[in-house]
Amino acid sequence: MKKLSVIIAFILSFGYSGAQSAGLYELNAGITAQKTQKLYWENGLGVDFTSDFLFGKRIHLKTALITSRLGSAFRSNAINQESFTLGADWRFFSRKPLQIFTGFNAGYFMAHYDDPEFDDLANSSPLVQLDAGLIYRFAFPLSLSASLGYNFITSNGEQGPGTLFPLFYQFKLYYRIK
Amino acid sequence: MKTDRIYLLFLLFIFVSCNKMPEIDNNTMLDGDQIFDISLVQPERFLISARYPTPSALQKDIPVIIAAHGYTATTFEWDELRDYADSTGTFYVSQVLLGGHGRSYEEFRKSTWKDWQASIRDEYKKLSRLGYKNIYLAGSSTGCPLIINLIQDGFFENLTKPKKIFLIDPIVISSNKTLTMVNALGPVLGYTSVELTDGEQGKWYVYRPYETLKQLMKLIDLTRKELQSGIRLPQNTKLKTYKSTSDGSADPVSAVLIYKGMKHADGTPVEVEMVDSKLHVFTRLRGRDGVTEKDKALQMKTFKEMEQAMIHP
Repeated sequence: MKKLSVIIAFILSFGYSGAQSAGLYELNAGITAQKTQKLYWENGLGVDFTSDFLFGKRIHLKTALITSRLGSAFRSNAINQESFTLGADWRFFSRKPLQIFTGFNAGYFMAHYDDPEFDDLANSSPLVQLDAGLIYRFAFPLSLSASLGYNFITSNGEQGPGTLFPLFYQFKLYYRIK
Repeated sequence: MKTDRIYLLFLLFIFVSCNKMPEIDNNTMLDGDQIFDISLVQPERFLISARYPTPSALQKDIPVIIAAHGYTATTFEWDELRDYADSTGTFYVSQVLLGGHGRSYEEFRKSTWKDWQASIRDEYKKLSRLGYKNIYLAGSSTGCPLIINLIQDGFFENLTKPKKIFLIDPIVISSNKTLTMVNALGPVLGYTSVELTDGEQGKWYVYRPYETLKQLMKLIDLTRKELQSGIRLPQNTKLKTYKSTSDGSADPVSAVLIYKGMKHADGTPVEVEMVDSKLHVFTRLRGRDGVTEKDKALQMKTFKEMEQAMIHP
């Protein structure tokens, strides 16, 4: 345990020394993993962009495409479904390695039921989400984030796709391209 | 100082919320200590194992269907199928009362989903040991994941295999998605309640203690995961799911999960029929307001199909 604490402290201090980005703009891309509360893992790719003109890199523009095909539905009977989102985050402590962020996403959700018997069921929906979490920017060109999100549009058995749930957790491992 | 007061008020709110007890009218509510499900007093009217404990050779050949009701309901939910069976005389209906149900709020609050399931297990074992050869199962709403779990659990291995299983409006995904947050919200809310019609009074619990909502979530989450991994029915057991396309209690997507997740023993897909109805458990019309001719026709069509499946398997 003590050893682990020393390793973590070392990584954090190493990260802090080089956390500030000096470029005019910054582009990150990488893996996005999402776990919906009481439902699936859905994984995919995401991109994050910021620039000095976006309030000194406090605003980050982001997009992600995730699918259960790369998560719970991989070699299982889970429903194949995709979510595509576009959004923006506001970063607190944007010059520090450990930052807090909160953001808004809009997008589109689509599920595939794979049999004509279910053609009458809703299988797509717009997405409106809020999320908030922590991000750690390492000195080497990687960042790791964890957040809690909420879907404002979900299904109620009468409208909307049944596997669109409210609460989700997201984890992102991004590489700093520029 | 002001912040301290706010924290104190918040803690007080949590404390008060955790100790919330509903106001129960003992004279009219099933939740109270005066009204109980009638099967507790007269089991022989509801359970075939109690009505015919020493079946003749002829009786052993008559199809018997064990009907399991849903969360907060009672044997009342399957009364109309029993009436139908009585009128045709072609099959028996054994209406089980789920554990913790039909008794009192307190007994319900303390029960687990395994308690709910125990009465289905008991009746099935009894019928199998008494020598009934043609046993069927029917579940409505929460009765369905309880039955699915029996299959997954290997319950039928040393018993007479069920010939066919009928699932009516099964719940694997709740329509109310707030249920997914019951672990966090439950202690604050204490319980939820539902509006009953005059005809439903005394037949359903009005109050839903959060402990039982947690149990419900646990059961359906387990069922979803089991379906995700895949469930094979016992040899020669068939299954059909009927699901309303619009349902405020059991999300219609539950039928998709069952269809994808369950297979017959030979690997062929199970049957599913999406029905044009907005009722949850469309086979139960008694006690509802605003029942239409279309609802009645759908109920009768389904009962006839179930009967045909039993007398001409």
